[in-house]
Amino acid sequence: MKKYYYYIPLITFILLILFFSRQLFLNKDPSHLPSVMLDESFPKLEFNQLAKYNLLTIEDIFSYDKPSLVNVWASWCVPCKIEHANLMLLKNKHSIRIYGINYKDNLKKADEILNLDGNPFYSIGVDSSGRIAINLGVYGVPETFILDRNGKIRYRHVGPILEYDIRETILPILTKLEQDD
Amino acid sequence: MIKLFKYAVILFLCSAPSSLYSQNNTNLESNSLVLQQAKELYEELRCLVCQNQSLLESEAPLALDLKELIKEKLKEGKTKKEVKDFLVERYGEFILLLPTLSLQNLFLWIGPFIFLFIGIIFAYKFYTNFNRSSNKTKTLNPAEKKNVQKILDEKLE
Repeated sequence: MKKYYYYIPLITFILLILFFSRQLFLNKDPSHLPSVMLDESFPKLEFNQLAKYNLLTIEDIFSYDKPSLVNVWASWCVPCKIEHANLMLLKNKHSIRIYGINYKDNLKKADEILNLDGNPFYSIGVDSSGRIAINLGVYGVPETFILDRNGKIRYRHVGPILEYDIRETILPILTKLEQDD
Repeated sequence: MIKLFKYAVILFLCSAPSSLYSQNNTNLESNSLVLQQAKELYEELRCLVCQNQSLLESEAPLALDLKELIKEKLKEGKTKKEVKDFLVERYGEFILLLPTLSLQNLFLWIGPFIFLFIGIIFAYKFYTNFNRSSNKTKTLNPAEKKNVQKILDEKLE
């Protein structure tokens, strides 16, 4: 008659399992942190110039009337090399403006890479100390932010942008932002 | 006269380092306070690259940058809380190894006590039931007594 007491631990255990598995399967990769900068205006930062390339300025970002990308990269970063061709594709085929932030890099090598593989960036800012990246909440390279036409951060992509990401997330978000207001 | 001068020189030489030392010492003291506070912060903050390590334990480049930044901010006279808030603003509450007590985290904090409460109730019910039923079996009703007696008699025969 009072047997149902015996099921309480089992039921609690099953509820716990369900709770944990929800976290496990819905949040596919726990190392991908949600950005706290979402829906915040891109912070007013100042950059140094990389070689002959256009210097990234805050005015660039806020005067542009279309959604754009901000890509944090470095020449020593291997996933950035994987991503490079896709950034070129976004620039040339989809005519999307990409701003580059060069993170803790050897500037000579950064220049070399852009000479060799092409420059996907409209303008570039150098962050040699890593402080700017900390201000943006970046915790690894490459990272890419999608900004809307008002310079607000609307999406953060951690890791290299693959063809799949362009198709499934980057382009859909960009077209949606373009249609908005 | 020369002797006096010699003493004066010796005295001066003796006093000079100590005054230098004391000056250094105040510097060291404020420095060690910063270092102490910085170390406390390192222990409370998560390294975002190797996520189950604290900043103190981590040698990841980002962790080193963050440690440097924390030290600088403390030297500027920022309080521990201000430095923490600065980092939470950028990396989210995830960077805190000890979650804050907020509505969102309420279950995290009181959950264990709820489970403990359920456990205690269960244990209480379980053991009181167990004792009651074991007491019951100790006393046999007359029919059972008769039955047992009968079986024992049979065995003895």
